[in-house]
Amino acid sequence: MLEIKELKAEIEGKKILNGINLVVKPGEVHAIMGPNGAGKSTLSSVLAGRADYEVTGGTVSFNGKDLLDMAPEDRAREGVFLAFQYPVEIPGVSTTNFLKTAINEKRKYLGLEPMEATDFLKFMREKMELMEMDKALTSRSLNEGFSGGEKKRNEVFQMAMLEPQLSIMDETDSGLDIDALRLVSTGVNKLKDGKRSFVVITHYQRLLDYIVPDFVHVLYKGRIVKSGDANLAKELEVKGYDWIKEEVEAGA
Amino acid sequence: MNLQEKINQDFSQYKTQANSSDAFVQLREQAFTEFEKLGFPSTKHEEWKYTNLKPIAEQSFQATCEINPAVHAFVKQSIFSTIQANRLVFVNGSFVQELSTMLETNTEIIIGSLATERHKHKTIFEAHFGKYAQVEGQALNALNTALLSDGAFVVVPDGKTVSHPIVILNITDSSAINVLAQPRNLVVIGKSASVTIIEAYEAMGTNAAFTNGVTEVYAAENAHVEHYKIQQQAGESYQNNFTQIFQEANTNINHVTLTLDGTMVRNNLHFYMNGENCNSLLYGLYITDSKDFVDNHTRVDHAKPNCFSDEKYKGILKDQSTAVFNGKIMVHLDAQKTNAYQRNQNILLSDDATVNTKPQLEIFADDVKCTHGATIGQLDEEPMFYLRSRGIPEDVARKLLLNAFADDIAEKINIPELVTLLEQQIEHKL
Ligand SMILES: Nc1ncnc2c1ncn2[C@@H]1O[C@H](COP(=O)(O)OP(=O)(O)OP(=O)(O)O)[C@@H](O)[C@H]1O
Ligand SMILES: [Mg+2]
Repeated sequence: MLEIKELKAEIEGKKILNGINLVVKPGEVHAIMGPNGAGKSTLSSVLAGRADYEVTGGTVSFNGKDLLDMAPEDRAREGVFLAFQYPVEIPGVSTTNFLKTAINEKRKYLGLEPMEATDFLKFMREKMELMEMDKALTSRSLNEGFSGGEKKRNEVFQMAMLEPQLSIMDETDSGLDIDALRLVSTGVNKLKDGKRSFVVITHYQRLLDYIVPDFVHVLYKGRIVKSGDANLAKELEVKGYDWIKEEVEAGA
Repeated sequence: MNLQEKINQDFSQYKTQANSSDAFVQLREQAFTEFEKLGFPSTKHEEWKYTNLKPIAEQSFQATCEINPAVHAFVKQSIFSTIQANRLVFVNGSFVQELSTMLETNTEIIIGSLATERHKHKTIFEAHFGKYAQVEGQALNALNTALLSDGAFVVVPDGKTVSHPIVILNITDSSAINVLAQPRNLVVIGKSASVTIIEAYEAMGTNAAFTNGVTEVYAAENAHVEHYKIQQQAGESYQNNFTQIFQEANTNINHVTLTLDGTMVRNNLHFYMNGENCNSLLYGLYITDSKDFVDNHTRVDHAKPNCFSDEKYKGILKDQSTAVFNGKIMVHLDAQKTNAYQRNQNILLSDDATVNTKPQLEIFADDVKCTHGATIGQLDEEPMFYLRSRGIPEDVARKLLLNAFADDIAEKINIPELVTLLEQQIEHKL
């Protein structure tokens, strides 16, 4: 599904990604961990198509297509979704209108008729129940005045609505209380159908108790320096990153 | 003849038939003298620094012209005809009875043409006409006063509410020749009375049209007025207009100006709070493209204590268009406990668009709360990326964000048809 080869990216001349290699197959869950400033958000931004970053090398293919060549909206309509670490507030744009537009633009792209208004509302209600979203939240402007946790929950709600092939979740668990964390996991696990894939960026094992990863990778200084199974995350929880950093420095 | 020559000719013609013992005629003669003294404002004048009237003053004009029958069809398909309202239609400044509609059944409420109604209600007319819109030092007000053609005359007696909005639809028809229209409205709202007024400006024809309008609104104690000014003049249209709103104690005035089309538009909106506990809301939205020019000069006089004013003007500029905002808040010496807010926010959609914004606060009282702020910028990249990352193409995302920007003002509009018009214009222009 997703194939990243030797991906290098920089911003304002500062090298941040220094050759990332990662293959995500349909149905897999990958966790990416790593210390602050390692380049995790940068990787997700580059995959989503943020213009600030300059890709200086490597390739990314998504279902056989060149992802880096696509506009951000086309990436989304091909099935890539990024749950942002810091979702932006957009006053004046209602969540409902926004989601209706997003869903129908995707349908248009796929050559489908727009969704009937009643079907849309029914669909939205289902997903709101799933995510235990308060009605008041969706009638408000997008993320405006939402608490940190509400914003994160709204990201997963959007993910549930858009049903992406590949979901990249950038620290969706930080700032969530225990109940919200459980909801987020439910949202993700509901989406799992054996074909959809997930890249979960997190600092904590806690989330991975609910969303069990097939692979765990450690990103450090813009490279994936270690990969393993779910046990790697548990090991990191106990030992921290120093031993990996040492390994890397020793190898360098 | 050029504009100045036409004005001179029109006035000497007016004088031959006017009766100089009439107070109204005397007022107009004085106004003409004032206009002659001041002349057309030039860009050397501080208040007219950015607004150049030369392009219109140098056009050639003729005496008068017949009204084009096509104006009937034009009025019928106008969005302002879809509003359930008392409708007064003026073409090139003259009242057209057969295009107007009256729904109001209360005969104590006066809604009609100034030229005819002023004779029937002489006392109230003379008590208010020319009392609020200053002529001294204001060349274009003087010109309007001297040569006004017609306009709306609205009087709502104490305690009465006009059950439907009043639409004052001004159309310039320049199909045959360049035209000059000088509408003049007088609105007198009694104690605890209320009314909604929609001043609308549209244009047909391919020649140039110059509208120079003046509106005076008097609000007695506890009156409530909703006042909309909607400018949608296509073609080569120039407009200057001056609105003076005079508020007695406990009045609520809610004003919205929408400038959606026009080659050159200069709005002068003045509020004067002559009593305590007034509420004055001034909102504006301008959407400009090509080489259009919009200038909003506002002035709020807090002359008495405990009044509140909130002003917000927003602009979306495309192409090589230009906007000017100049908002003056005057807090007079004894206007303690004044609360006055002012914001001007602009989005430039092109590198060639220009905004000049200038807040002016003059505060003579010490116990007041005043804030102001202005911003000029492009659409933010972060929200744009967020929307696109959800599969919304750039052009659709831009529209969503611009609608959101305009929504701040749109939500102050209580007439659904006007909101629709605004949405259509955003869709069409952007
Ligand atoms: N716009 C920018 N300008 C300059 N430096 C940037 C910019 N964006 C990111 N960086 C730098 O790139 C590096 C990687 O940042 P990134 O946000 O990808 O880290 P991260 O792994 O997501 O960290 P965290 O765990 O704290 O979220 C950091 O050193 C950061 O300061
Ligand atoms: Mg990060």
